[in-house]
Amino acid sequence: MKGQEVVAARAAKQQQGPMHRAFDWLPTAANSKAPSPGPGNPHHSHRQSSNDSLFSAQATPEHCDLHCKVMLLGDSGVGKTCILTRFRDGQFLYGNYITTVGIDFRNKMVTVDDSHVKLQIWDTAGQERFRSVTHAYYRDAHALLLLYDVTNKQSYDNIRAWLGEIREYAQDDVVIMLLGNKCDCGAERVVRREDGQRLANEYKVPFMETSAKTGLNVELAFHAVARELKARTKKEYSDESKFNVQEYLGQHQSHRNSCLATNCLTT
Amino acid sequence: MATKDSASATTSSASGSTATATATATATSLRVEDVTVESGIEPGASAETMLVTTDSLEEFEQELSSSIDDRQMKESITSTISDIQQDPVDSPKTLAMNLEKSASFDSNEIDELSQQFGQNSLDADPLKCKVWLAQKKHVFVLSQAGKPIYSRYSSEDKLVTVMGVMQALVSFVQAGNDMIRSVHAGDTNFVFVVRGPLILVSVSKTLESVPQLVLQLTYVYNQILSVLSQSQLTKVYEQRRNFDLRRLLTGSERLIDHLLNFMDREPAFFLSAVKCLPLLPSMRDAITQTIVQTCSKIKNLVFAILLANNQLITLVRMKKFCIHPADLHLIQNLVDSSESFKTAESWTPICLPKFDSNGFMYSHVSYLAEDCQACLLLLTVDRDVFFTLSEAKQKIVEKLRRTNCLEAINESMNKASITIAEIGLSEMRHVLYKCKSTAQFWSPGFQPPYTTDEEIQRLLGCYQCLHHRLHSPSRPLKLIFQQLDKETMLAWVTSGFELYVTFEPLITKTDAINSIGKLLKWIKKEEERLFILNSPTF
Repeated sequence: MKGQEVVAARAAKQQQGPMHRAFDWLPTAANSKAPSPGPGNPHHSHRQSSNDSLFSAQATPEHCDLHCKVMLLGDSGVGKTCILTRFRDGQFLYGNYITTVGIDFRNKMVTVDDSHVKLQIWDTAGQERFRSVTHAYYRDAHALLLLYDVTNKQSYDNIRAWLGEIREYAQDDVVIMLLGNKCDCGAERVVRREDGQRLANEYKVPFMETSAKTGLNVELAFHAVARELKARTKKEYSDESKFNVQEYLGQHQSHRNSCLATNCLTT
Repeated sequence: MATKDSASATTSSASGSTATATATATATSLRVEDVTVESGIEPGASAETMLVTTDSLEEFEQELSSSIDDRQMKESITSTISDIQQDPVDSPKTLAMNLEKSASFDSNEIDELSQQFGQNSLDADPLKCKVWLAQKKHVFVLSQAGKPIYSRYSSEDKLVTVMGVMQALVSFVQAGNDMIRSVHAGDTNFVFVVRGPLILVSVSKTLESVPQLVLQLTYVYNQILSVLSQSQLTKVYEQRRNFDLRRLLTGSERLIDHLLNFMDREPAFFLSAVKCLPLLPSMRDAITQTIVQTCSKIKNLVFAILLANNQLITLVRMKKFCIHPADLHLIQNLVDSSESFKTAESWTPICLPKFDSNGFMYSHVSYLAEDCQACLLLLTVDRDVFFTLSEAKQKIVEKLRRTNCLEAINESMNKASITIAEIGLSEMRHVLYKCKSTAQFWSPGFQPPYTTDEEIQRLLGCYQCLHHRLHSPSRPLKLIFQQLDKETMLAWVTSGFELYVTFEPLITKTDAINSIGKLLKWIKKEEERLFILNSPTF
């Protein structure tokens, strides 16, 4: 049965030929006559796994009501791994710059109201050379946290390109959140908060500034995602529980916004 | 009469040192037959091996001689990875080798240029910095167009002019349809390697020989390939000759940094061999079987590699495919230099240049458990099987835990390596033993006087000198017995093994032979623990 699946997947890959990009990691690309498969090929391999769906109650040993895949995206060095380490372990990685090689997978349980939500967080490498490997995983993601660095204009300018890739490779209903990280670096800041907000409005995605160093808004970002995903699954039962990430962020972030300025005391 | 040439003599070019080396060989009246334990059977030898056993140095020599025509290099038509992906798996890998004349070079011109090189003055540039200038070994990578790509000790931005000179040197000689190999100025060697679209340069004040430096540069080149693959590297430069490769290498400079430091302290590289973690054979088998059983159903899984402390615990391979020690060294380098693997399961593309330089393999990398820091790598050619491999890894760890294998691994990892003194050989201090048929080596822990980094470095330097003389392309030797100021060294190569031994300085030849006999007996007795003698497949 597995063999059939692979055959099917190959056929599907070939249909995707036109999506071939200059940067193709696929080994056969250089030699094979067949059109090169695009990076966003089907995720057939884990289709059969039961935890793939959004509803995977009690599928894993630890009881969880919901299983979500969250992906961290953004240029290299914007602080994706740091945000994740802050969220998962409550720590900040001082000093040493740890580069992610490919994709790192980590799990974290969060509690939304009474239910346990298991977040499987995919921390991606920001480097261009890993792009097509990460593309392959876009489609499986339920939520994407897209980061830029407020002290790095280039990383902000690249957000449009990132959103373009997301549109190309991710599911249409994927939850996207834009985060301006390193907002504790007051003096070095080159991207204003308003710039981030304007960009977010343009693409109609929720936006926040975060700091992995101080922990500002880090929990909030992940919790908001978990809430949104949970709300979506409920929607299918009733239209009552409408949840709006932007509103939620507004409510929970507002009191912290005032202390944003005081947080910027570095250098 | 043993030659007493330590440091200085070895810096002379290959032809110069041949004379002294020959003298050493004839002066030594060791009869190797006396030492052989059981004739025909070398400790650690095995008919099966999972490692490719051709000597890297010889191979690199060949590769080196092909570099002039590399720019027109044809990609090899067969690709190992696509072979595996397309089911029928057999087609021998062909390598296109181009021959070239060896370089002869006008030394006056070089002097002039290298003077410029040494005295280049720029504001606030590293060339005026004493610390920078005093570094023992610089490594630079630039493109054929002269664009800086990598420098070991400073930002390559500041070295634009120096790299320009390097590029000028290379292309000047190329214009004469020739190849620059090395420049020797006082105690400094400038070694050039031109591979594909890249120029690699080593400026070294160490005692390492030119072939050894070439080997190191080739490792650096392979490290770059491991990140980008040959086909991609060729492609970007075909599209734009003055491409800035740093854009694609961001984040991997640390891999090269780490590799260079790694090569400075690990004999594995010049020996072209791998060290195994000592384990009871029953335990090692249990671990191997666990991996084989769990993974045998997974399609397209090519290698499963378990490493601890940079040593090999086990390696399971797909039938018909072996791994080259040079590729394994790159994997070790990746694992050793990536902190992020310790905290998460990773899925990472990697090109193994010896296995298939044009394609990527995908590797599931994870440490076994919080309480067992051995790193498991599952390498496949299928980019979509992360979750399958992740599941397999979970199962492997559960089984290993149930069968107490994790404990066994921990125990061996935490135990300091046995020293020669503990084996009971007085007068002997340290040894490197490489079994040729399996490309594995063993070395004991360091004992006094080799307790400081400096002394260890010096000892490894001595081993490298001996290695160079055994393998000198112009006049290879079989046996060297050399009394130095601080120790007496013996190097011996047979068809089955290579042995490098450090003795007390005043040891007699007879005593040396006797203790080598004892050592070989001990290794033979322990071989099942020290080496992997089988070559398991899925």
